[in-house]
Amino acid sequence: MAKKITRISGFDKGVRIESRILEERIQSAVRGGARRLEVDAMGQHGIGGRLWVSKEEPINLTIIGSPGQRIGSKGFPGTTIEVMGGISDDVGWLNAGAEIIIHGNASNGACNAMAQGKVFVAGNIGARGMTMTKTNPRFDPPELWVLGSVGDYFAEFMAGGTAVICGHEAQNPRSILGYRPCVGMVGGRIFVRGPIEGYSQADVLMEPIDDDTWAWLTRNMESYLKKIKRGRLLRKLTKREEWQLIRSKNPFEKKGKARRSINDFRTNVWDAELGRGGLIGDLTDLDRSPIPLIVHGNLRRKIPVWENRKYLAPCQSSCPTGMPVQERWRLVRDGMVDEAVDLALAYTPFPATVCGYLCPNLCMEGCTRQNGSMASVDITKLGREGIKSKAPELPPLSGKRVAVVGGGPAGISVAWQIRMKGHEAVVFDMAETLGGKIASAIPNSRVPKEVVEAEVERAAKVLPHVHLQQELKAGDFEELRENHDYVVLAIGAQKPRIIPVPGHERIIPALTFLQEVKKGNTKSGKKVVIIGAGNVGCDVATVAANVGAEEITLIDIQEPASFGKERKEAEEVGARFKWPCFTKEITEDGVLLQSGELLEADTVIMSIGDQPDVDFLPDNIALDRGHVVVNDDFQTTDSQVFAIGDVVRPGLLTHAIGHGRRVAEVLDDLFHNRRPKSDTRDMIDYKRMTLEYFDPRVIEFSDLNHCASECSSCGTCRDCYLCETICPQSAIKRNELEGGGFERVVDPEKCIACGFCANSCPCGIWDMKEPAPLE
Amino acid sequence: MLSERPITPSTLSCKDLPWQIKWDINTCTKCGRCTAVCPVSAIELGVFRKREIKTPMGLAAKPSNEFSVYYGIRQRTDPAYACIGCSMCNMVCPNNSIEPIRQDDSTTLHFQNNRGGQPRTRGGRRNNGDSLLDQLKFIRISMLTDPALDAGRHEFDLRTLLGRVLSPEDEIKCHQEKGWKPPVREIYPLVIGGMSFGALSPNMWEGLQMGVAYLNEEMDMPVRMCTGEGGCPPRLLRSRFLKYVILQIASGYFGWDEIIHAIPEMKEDPCAIEIKYGQGAKPGDGGLLMWHKVNKLIAAIRGVPEGVSLPSPPTHQTQYSIEESVAKMIQSMSMAWGFRVPVYPKISASSTSLAVLNNLVRNPYAAALAIDGEDGGTGAAYNVSMNHMGHPIASNLRDCYKVLCLSGAQNEIPLIAGGGIGKNGNLAANAASLIMLGASMVQIGKYVMQAGAGYLGSEKDRCNVCNLGVCPKGITSQNPRIYRRLDPEKVAERLVDFYLSFDTELRKVFAPLGRSTSLPIGMSDGLGISDKAAADRLDIKYVI
Repeated sequence: MAKKITRISGFDKGVRIESRILEERIQSAVRGGARRLEVDAMGQHGIGGRLWVSKEEPINLTIIGSPGQRIGSKGFPGTTIEVMGGISDDVGWLNAGAEIIIHGNASNGACNAMAQGKVFVAGNIGARGMTMTKTNPRFDPPELWVLGSVGDYFAEFMAGGTAVICGHEAQNPRSILGYRPCVGMVGGRIFVRGPIEGYSQADVLMEPIDDDTWAWLTRNMESYLKKIKRGRLLRKLTKREEWQLIRSKNPFEKKGKARRSINDFRTNVWDAELGRGGLIGDLTDLDRSPIPLIVHGNLRRKIPVWENRKYLAPCQSSCPTGMPVQERWRLVRDGMVDEAVDLALAYTPFPATVCGYLCPNLCMEGCTRQNGSMASVDITKLGREGIKSKAPELPPLSGKRVAVVGGGPAGISVAWQIRMKGHEAVVFDMAETLGGKIASAIPNSRVPKEVVEAEVERAAKVLPHVHLQQELKAGDFEELRENHDYVVLAIGAQKPRIIPVPGHERIIPALTFLQEVKKGNTKSGKKVVIIGAGNVGCDVATVAANVGAEEITLIDIQEPASFGKERKEAEEVGARFKWPCFTKEITEDGVLLQSGELLEADTVIMSIGDQPDVDFLPDNIALDRGHVVVNDDFQTTDSQVFAIGDVVRPGLLTHAIGHGRRVAEVLDDLFHNRRPKSDTRDMIDYKRMTLEYFDPRVIEFSDLNHCASECSSCGTCRDCYLCETICPQSAIKRNELEGGGFERVVDPEKCIACGFCANSCPCGIWDMKEPAPLE
Repeated sequence: MLSERPITPSTLSCKDLPWQIKWDINTCTKCGRCTAVCPVSAIELGVFRKREIKTPMGLAAKPSNEFSVYYGIRQRTDPAYACIGCSMCNMVCPNNSIEPIRQDDSTTLHFQNNRGGQPRTRGGRRNNGDSLLDQLKFIRISMLTDPALDAGRHEFDLRTLLGRVLSPEDEIKCHQEKGWKPPVREIYPLVIGGMSFGALSPNMWEGLQMGVAYLNEEMDMPVRMCTGEGGCPPRLLRSRFLKYVILQIASGYFGWDEIIHAIPEMKEDPCAIEIKYGQGAKPGDGGLLMWHKVNKLIAAIRGVPEGVSLPSPPTHQTQYSIEESVAKMIQSMSMAWGFRVPVYPKISASSTSLAVLNNLVRNPYAAALAIDGEDGGTGAAYNVSMNHMGHPIASNLRDCYKVLCLSGAQNEIPLIAGGGIGKNGNLAANAASLIMLGASMVQIGKYVMQAGAGYLGSEKDRCNVCNLGVCPKGITSQNPRIYRRLDPEKVAERLVDFYLSFDTELRKVFAPLGRSTSLPIGMSDGLGISDKAAADRLDIKYVI
């Protein structure tokens, strides 16, 4: 049985039979016991596959004629197919174990998807051989042996088995493995002999053939050559140096396509062509190397700057006198209460009278705390202490002399300051004692008499006073001017304004009324009408109530401008405010309004302001609507004459005092042949301070220490160490300065410019500045 | 904003801002990194006062107030310092304690961002994430043949022609008469569109050019990059890399004297000259480089004084008709290199594009037409121009291509499409769509910044501060303190990365179409869309 050859023809009566019929006949023969078959093929498909019984009983099948595609597909172990000539496409497709010997060439797709079995080709094969092969650990891996060369795209996606390409009498002797072999190859190995034109380096690598491998190759070469009946070639084909081994890379060996590093490219290609520094190396030598997001030093986009005392605190800036209020609170915090109190005398001769009582305290209006809806630090507490201050030690006199005309707050202020600077200032005044309206007109209810007297006395002690017996005349003024280096006009506004309505002679001017009452010379009628309901009018009302008035009416042509203590006190004595009222006439009965209404009055007082009395001034001192014209330094059109206070423009006491201080500075500069300079510092921006450190519920301050502790110290470092503490980089240090004082400095190599110092500083000292551009 | 202050119309609360800072008090370490890095100072250290009212049980004693202070990160509400959502704070935060959150319903800022009477200007592109290109599908897939093209396995020749291609008759005539043959370049179809040295930082620009050189010399991909209107560094002009460069001339003519000086010293001709007439991001408006970006370096390259704003007029001066404009400029620029270099105009997509195209067809020196659609990006433009002006690229390009087909010139004058390609990251799909609608190549700009340098801008109005010189990634800043954040080598590497992956993706689209050796330019039968109106308008298949 075994020896018997069953012959099956692909022809039936000279006509080619269908692949299906031939397959049925082969299967039928095998079922009938045939184990040696010879098929005379005529292009039929898939001959030699599916011979399942061969696993137990080997089957040999010889193909003569012209086999079709996919010979031996689904071939089974034990099946041996011998093709006596060349063969068409896909021999051994999905081969699962058959051995296929081809005595000619095989065309494209040989061994495609072969999983087991062996294919021995005695010639060359076409394109896409040994593609998609498999390795199943349960079986021996597939093998393909080719005597010549393979076509293009060999071993694509090869996933197992061994291919041996001998390169003997190759169809393409210059390229045994063809074009682009091994693309996507993931398993198996390829022995190749002869020249190759590269392979997919991404997928496979070449490695030396070790001894065991070589032994396998030579051993199997011998049996391969025998099968294709070319045993004579054994010696020729077993020269070890002629063979190369290609195997698939394992996943760890696959690193993708090796790309030249950009750094290498930059150095050796880019910069080599362009020159050192690359694209713009010729235009700039700026360092352009990479930096991190968080940087230090010169790379920071912002730089914290400690701007201690660079800006004026709002209180100081708001004070026309220029009082450094925050500095005084600092002294209090430092335990130097006396110094804090005394400091005021450097700015004003009337710290108690004005700061403590009479001033509406513009410093408190400006206080930063108001932005946080908090009570302003109460300066009056500190001001009132000023009564205790002694006049400071006076510097020796320089010989320069200044005549000050007028002994009111402006005159005393300027004289006081001039004397402090070491020059002589002589006050000329009509009054017996100094003080002007403070002493003569402002009611005692507003400021205790003793306070005024003490402060006037303190000033008078150091200021020579010429008591003029009569009003200055033009000639007198000229004489003053001749005999002094400079003259300062501080004559105030002493001429009450009276509206010339019919019956105006019945009107008592407010200033006269206040002065007379203060002297104890006058009483008031029971019914009083005060024309002009400003703060002076309110004072008049309060004073009148003390001297007999019972029914007080303040009238104004518009909503009264009075405010504060004055207004409150007037209301407390029962004064009525009435507006708008236009006075037509003053009659015996009172004030007749244009509306026809009569306001009954025993006393009519007019309080619509006072005007300077400037009749004695020479023509070369320019006036504007009754006031002396001055420049920013209070210099009049006569450069030797200055003018300050109400003679220049109506203002508060603190304005008059401030003018005096300024003029003293200017004169001191002039005496020293310096161009007068003022404090040009701007007020600090409110936004810079941080008020969250203070108790928002404080509405009254218990004492000086309480005041001082609630002061934010705008613009001046409190030395609270907050910035040092809050800095995440520990970059801020405090340096003691030689000669006292301290500074805070930032270590640029630690700082990252987070701005925490600037955002947390209660005093607004730190600012984040933009550094100069880097270029 | 403290409640004590008077408010103004521009007084905003955090809730009015489009980006709101979410900050976690529990994990914040107050390290200061977020406030240090914020490009627009939108956040700062906040000092907060906390009040506790202590009330003893049973009211056994007098209740008391206890105040304490704590610190945290506070968002500023001044519109000038509004958070831009860049999230650099989050990037530097060690504890993930801070991040901006987009609040789409917080629109108040839109009405308050023109203070001082200045309308808003910004960088980026149209604030609209929609993309028609994203809706296009490739519906022609061949899969049964072997070899079906395998994008990963097969070799492709993805090249396109830039330059006037003669018709066969003219070609023969030219050959016989030994006439002038228009220069044609074979290049990669994805071109980096014009972004000027000045709009971009030196590190960004060098990174891009270096990456382009790498792609050419190491990866064999003939990628080209347009300079934009800002001149070209003298060294590049005199290097062999110039052949990878498309020099742009626009209405400001910046840097052209340097280019002219360099012409006799050039080793290579540039790839081409692009004449910019319009830009998709801001049709009808010129370029504007703000003074704070014009430092010494930029001034040197552009040939202008330092620290001055550099506006380009909306149109080229001295040109009074389309014919003259196109003919005169193309003639001049062709002549500059002895007619060896292709010269083409770039216009913003517009209902007037066809008029330009018709002129070009008649002009033998016109090498191509670049059309930039409404979704194009820019470093600086008026918000209104960016959001509301311009024409979508797809239909505009399609119209132009079909007109060329009518006259049989579709293979002769290449169309270059730009504007919003890859705006949602779908670069290869968008590019393939435009090619199949008729583009010979596409230009990209914003995608390059996003993919190449991690640009943070989005169509949700994130970041978009290119015009201010504060770019958190250092892409559009001229301040070394900022642009040194960007390593040119890393930019080059990313450029190479995305070009390679684009290349693979483009093959993945083209392989099933059966195209591996020539681009499927105008192969619109492979395109479909599920929008009937769009399908009709573009003359492609309606698929649902």
